[in-house]
Amino acid sequence: MHNVWLIARREYVERIRTRGFLITTVMIPLIMFGFIYGTAFVNSKSEPGAHIAIVSSDTQLVLDLQSQLQPHLSASPAQTPSATRPHFSVDAMDIGPDTRSTLDRELASGDIDGYLWITPTVAPTRRPTFTFTPRSNDQDYLRSTLAAALGAVLMREQLAHRGIVASEVDAMLQPVDIRTTHAPRRQDRESSQVSVFILFFLMYMVIMLYGMNVARSIIEEKTSRIFEIMLATIRPEEMMAGKILGVGSVGLTQVGIWLSAALLLSAGSVAAHIGGQGIHVVLTAAQVIYFFVYFILGYAFYSSIAAGLGAMTNSEQELQQLNLFLVLPLIACFATLMSVLTYPDSTMARVLALIPPFTPLLMYLRVSLGHPSPWDVALSILLTSISIYAIVWVSSRIYRVGVLMYGKRPTLPELLRWLKYS
Amino acid sequence: MSIVQLQNIRKVYDTKVAVEDLSFTIEPGTMFGLLGPNGSGKTSSIRMMIGITVPDSGSVSLFDRPFTRSVLGRVGYLPEERGLYKKMNVLDQLTFLGQLHGLTASVASRRATLWCERLDIAEAIPKKTEDLSKGMQQKIQFIAALLHDPDLILMDEPFSGLDPVNAFLLMSTLVDLCSIGKAVIFSTHRMDQVEKFCNSIALIHHGHLVLSGSMREIKSGYPRNRVLIHFEGDDAFLQHPCVESLLRYNGHAEIRLRPSPTLADDAQSLLTQAIRHARVTRFEVMEPTLEEIFIEKVQKTLPVKNGGKLSMAQLEKSVGDEIDA
Repeated sequence: MHNVWLIARREYVERIRTRGFLITTVMIPLIMFGFIYGTAFVNSKSEPGAHIAIVSSDTQLVLDLQSQLQPHLSASPAQTPSATRPHFSVDAMDIGPDTRSTLDRELASGDIDGYLWITPTVAPTRRPTFTFTPRSNDQDYLRSTLAAALGAVLMREQLAHRGIVASEVDAMLQPVDIRTTHAPRRQDRESSQVSVFILFFLMYMVIMLYGMNVARSIIEEKTSRIFEIMLATIRPEEMMAGKILGVGSVGLTQVGIWLSAALLLSAGSVAAHIGGQGIHVVLTAAQVIYFFVYFILGYAFYSSIAAGLGAMTNSEQELQQLNLFLVLPLIACFATLMSVLTYPDSTMARVLALIPPFTPLLMYLRVSLGHPSPWDVALSILLTSISIYAIVWVSSRIYRVGVLMYGKRPTLPELLRWLKYS
Repeated sequence: MSIVQLQNIRKVYDTKVAVEDLSFTIEPGTMFGLLGPNGSGKTSSIRMMIGITVPDSGSVSLFDRPFTRSVLGRVGYLPEERGLYKKMNVLDQLTFLGQLHGLTASVASRRATLWCERLDIAEAIPKKTEDLSKGMQQKIQFIAALLHDPDLILMDEPFSGLDPVNAFLLMSTLVDLCSIGKAVIFSTHRMDQVEKFCNSIALIHHGHLVLSGSMREIKSGYPRNRVLIHFEGDDAFLQHPCVESLLRYNGHAEIRLRPSPTLADDAQSLLTQAIRHARVTRFEVMEPTLEEIFIEKVQKTLPVKNGGKLSMAQLEKSVGDEIDA
């Protein structure tokens, strides 16, 4: 145990001292904030808004549509503009001989995003035909917004037709406002989801980064041949354990720095200042504890795989080729992220979160956002611990033999033989 | 008591037999040379002595007990593949390695400083390892192996790549340690080094023990039938009947005498003959060199696989290549 501690301490001290540690400590939060606020910024800029033309001989209908679609221009209190409502600018056009060709030209040049052609019917009781020509097919929201607006306008018209006063019509068409309230514990669900997502991302990055660091430091020792002196005093297992602990503590230190910085920032409401409304870090103590539990499990799982990979290979290049084994499960976690984030208690999420390579990241999401049964949590920790034990066993066998092998990379049958060596 | 005792150890890597049926014993205060060409199993044997690898069969005893890892604190090891943490400074590095061998941090750093002074590299102490020359790094590793005052010192090719001055410095350090009762084992393919310093040897070839024992015993088992003569003038005396074979060089000749019970008299008669015809500047009667014994043994016990007998020239060439490499 003393040796493990010595190795871990050396690894920790030497790594903390490097400039690389300082740089990643500062850079990764910057990149993450850049990523999160960058996407938020891009989203706000690409809010759906459109310039469309309406071609109709029915002036009243066009006017009604205009006021329905451009609420910010009309004084009508019934249509308060909401933040998520697309901003439309609507041109009215009369039917002329070259209207269609003009519109097509404007459509092609991008001056308008689409036009609505209203053909009146002969029978007065029938509805006119509406034809919408969008500029591109991906503007599906335009069609649905137009359909909703048309529905409202036609309804209003019908009601007015039956002698109902305009103010009553407005009152009838007042949209229902569903106010969402939460159980007290889940009050900040929205922003907690964001914080949890940030932590998820953090866990993903740190596990990947430090897993690779374990593999790289083993390769470094192989290339510098130092391990042979080490092996003359300590067991390969101790060396591997020391490395994983040392490198892992560096990762924990880094996460610790980030989390305390985040807590300080949000306590001083600086975060709210930077992030504007909507995003601030809200975490319960349980979420933080679960974060560390699953972080440690995930790190142990992936870094022992990395240690095995490092022991098998002789250079960084060779390691790159085997990287897949490390990165693929993590990427798979990311792929399932959205569905687990939305339905944290679905059967799929339950099953996925119990598969050991996915457990650390996905179970953490479920624990933070869903309501997994205590059995699920206990089982996930148990299964992951068992598989960590198995992986450490295999990796240390590979390590023990692989660390003394130079030259070519072992083949699979050779690896299996290594497992049998004592 | 014996420091190291190997009994019939055998190690096979996949299909290659690295060591086969190897046995020898090393007493305290011995300077032991483990000899053999590259790939003959020297490093594999050393690794098995200290439990880096475990023999497939046979037994290893250190300090009169079957091997356990607990004795590793009494063993100092300099591996053939040199390596240190490049980014660490020398004192931290030595202290760390000393601690791994069970020293406390303060003792380790004090001894590290003393050793650096003793080996003339005190100025390297505050430097990073990567800033040092190869020779200095090698000395640091040498110190790392001795820091915890081991009773058994294993050095795998300790002098390769060192200049003669430093090689001599390290060698005399080892001789000093040997004289206070430590057992030193070093492996090499340089027979001349062994002849000069070792009092006991083991020769291995293709994983097999070819020859072992104390230097004196081995040599005394061979007749003093080699004559080296430096001369000027007529070389007709080389036709003397007691000469079995000879190698003639410019100004000198190496002669092998015909086996006979009166070898010493034969040599004298050869010298008398030589003086009559030529001016002799040097005349020496010797046992065969270790190198010759080795070649003879290898040819006798293990005919070379490619069918032909291993000639002197071939072997010299291959040994020369190894030294160059």
